[in-house]
Amino acid sequence: MRLSLRARPLRGRIALSFTLGALLLSTALATFTFLVARSYLVGQRERAAIRQTYLDAAYVRNRLAAPGTPVADVLASADPPPDGAFVVRRDGQWYSTTLGVDPPTVPGELQDQVRSGTAGYVLADVNGEPALVSGVSLSRGTQFYRVTPLTELGDTLHTVSAVLAVGTGLAAAGGALLGRWASGKATQPLNLVAATAAEIAGGSLDTRLPNTSDPDLAIIVGSFNSMVDTLQQRLERDSRFAADVGHELRSPLTTLVASVELLDRHRDDFPPRAVKALDLVTGDLTRLQRMLDNLLHMAKADAGLDLTDATPLPLADLLRHVLDRSGYPTTLLDGPDDGLVLGDKILLDRAFTNLVDNAGRHGGGLRAMTIRPEGRKLLVFVDDAGLGVPLEDRERIFERFATSTAARGSSSGTGLGLALASETLAAHGGALWCTDRPGRGARFVASLPRVSP
Amino acid sequence: MPEHLLIVEDDDRIRTVLRLGLEDEGYEVTEAASAEEALDSIAEAPPDVLIVDLGLGGMDGFSLIRTVRRSGDLPVIVVSARTDTHDIVAGLEAGADDYVTKPFQIKEISARLRALRRRVVTSSTASAAHTPEIILDATEPHPLVLSTARGTVRRGEEDVHLTLTEYGLLCELAATPGRVMSRQLLLERVWDQGFFGDERLVDVHVRRLRTKIERDPSNPQLVVTVRGLGYRLDVQ
Repeated sequence: MRLSLRARPLRGRIALSFTLGALLLSTALATFTFLVARSYLVGQRERAAIRQTYLDAAYVRNRLAAPGTPVADVLASADPPPDGAFVVRRDGQWYSTTLGVDPPTVPGELQDQVRSGTAGYVLADVNGEPALVSGVSLSRGTQFYRVTPLTELGDTLHTVSAVLAVGTGLAAAGGALLGRWASGKATQPLNLVAATAAEIAGGSLDTRLPNTSDPDLAIIVGSFNSMVDTLQQRLERDSRFAADVGHELRSPLTTLVASVELLDRHRDDFPPRAVKALDLVTGDLTRLQRMLDNLLHMAKADAGLDLTDATPLPLADLLRHVLDRSGYPTTLLDGPDDGLVLGDKILLDRAFTNLVDNAGRHGGGLRAMTIRPEGRKLLVFVDDAGLGVPLEDRERIFERFATSTAARGSSSGTGLGLALASETLAAHGGALWCTDRPGRGARFVASLPRVSP
Repeated sequence: MPEHLLIVEDDDRIRTVLRLGLEDEGYEVTEAASAEEALDSIAEAPPDVLIVDLGLGGMDGFSLIRTVRRSGDLPVIVVSARTDTHDIVAGLEAGADDYVTKPFQIKEISARLRALRRRVVTSSTASAAHTPEIILDATEPHPLVLSTARGTVRRGEEDVHLTLTEYGLLCELAATPGRVMSRQLLLERVWDQGFFGDERLVDVHVRRLRTKIERDPSNPQLVVTVRGLGYRLDVQ
């Protein structure tokens, strides 16, 4: 399942890369387009304005060539560009076709250049509007300037830049969509891998990824499948090993159990010392048997507890049978009688027997067993008469082969009973934990989901 | 006359202790170390009950049970070191009446033997008292009739061969036709097993019973499953 959790940021990352890429590319393209368009348009305007400046200058020069013609008259008859102006400086005196255009309008450096006899132009702000000011020297002491407004050009460039900006935005959005689509495409096989892995984790070890002709995916599919193959072989070997060991141990144990039983029937024929020894053997044989049982079940639990035989079970009934078999009176059980849980009775029997066992071995004996309904759960309190479990041990005791530092007597267990109980309850959708019993002693609390009949 | 048991087990120590223990309880016990030996022994002197270990060398326990089943209804108790669902069900499917897993105590085996014997007694006398003949399926021309008086099931003129356990199961179901009996109840009544008994015993035997008495075992009408509750016998 971890795969699918990771897939989201990955998809996000792919989509983000696409978006950023598209944004970068379209911005660069737009900027380039804008610069080229601007330099082309501006250049065109400049060339036209300069050509026109020469023509206008020639006209003005011709008119001024007639002696005595006032500059103002000449300018009045001239035809300046719309919103633009002609400016003439003659003998330190400024003349203009438009009142608003002052001499300072013409930038000083251009004045200097034109006065020295070289034609030139500059881009300048005239009354807050962009304009091209071009100048030609008409004669010594007379200079002609043409002010060509560029407002229209500015508007055009503004429109172009706006269009390009919108285009850039659209390209980025397109990139984002493409990224989403592409990341979906790219992670689709990952989703399949994740689903398959989840299925395998759920216990169907025969599940494999379907073969693919895509060479990019074939490697992933191949290594994934071979990994599962190895895993399956490993698990099968482990469970076969457990089964083999179990089988091997069961035969001698059968002989032992049956022989000890046989001896026990004839205990009256033995001297007291032998009877004592027989009792020791009987006691430890029972323990050995339970250890083996727990060990084998642990091996099975590793391969996933099989709950296919789960049926609705009357919990009180189950617990009474557990008590009875462990040699406790069934009257130790308290609580409502009608609660049902869904479970495998053999597994639950083992779990609760282990709890009762633990109370007997480490807790100075079972004190009480109580069923308490709580919401949609049934809680089972298993109280013992011991010293309780120290706070720092309350989680550790449920680990496999955990050995409590306190309360270890001569009758230590396998360190598996509580772990197995906890795993069994968890497999049933419940839990197991340890608290203090009111008064003194430990209280193990098992919770199981309640089912309706 | 003491009941005669045949123990088929390749581990001679287990075989010996079983014999000693069961002889203590008053049974007459014959041993066999292999399936082949067991078949010879059965041919020579048929036992009352067969106790078989599933994991035998040579011919295995499953084959032995199937062979025995083909020629009669000799009660079989399986003893197995394998506790897998698969093996136990396979043993029952082969025709075993009951099973015990290793390591076991002798008293577990003798409890199963007592339950088997009770089935013999029940089926031959007790339930016969009120209704000696129950017509299970009246469909002509071959009605299916359970005769508790004679301890037989007949379809028309033909005897339907049931094992002791199948017959016991049928009698329990036929005692209250139309009423659901839970697996747990059947387990207690037929197998004498308590709360921790294996309900698969009931399921497998119902399945086998159906193949013998249903007209169409794949679509049972006589012994119907009531989901989540148990089984019910519907007289046809």
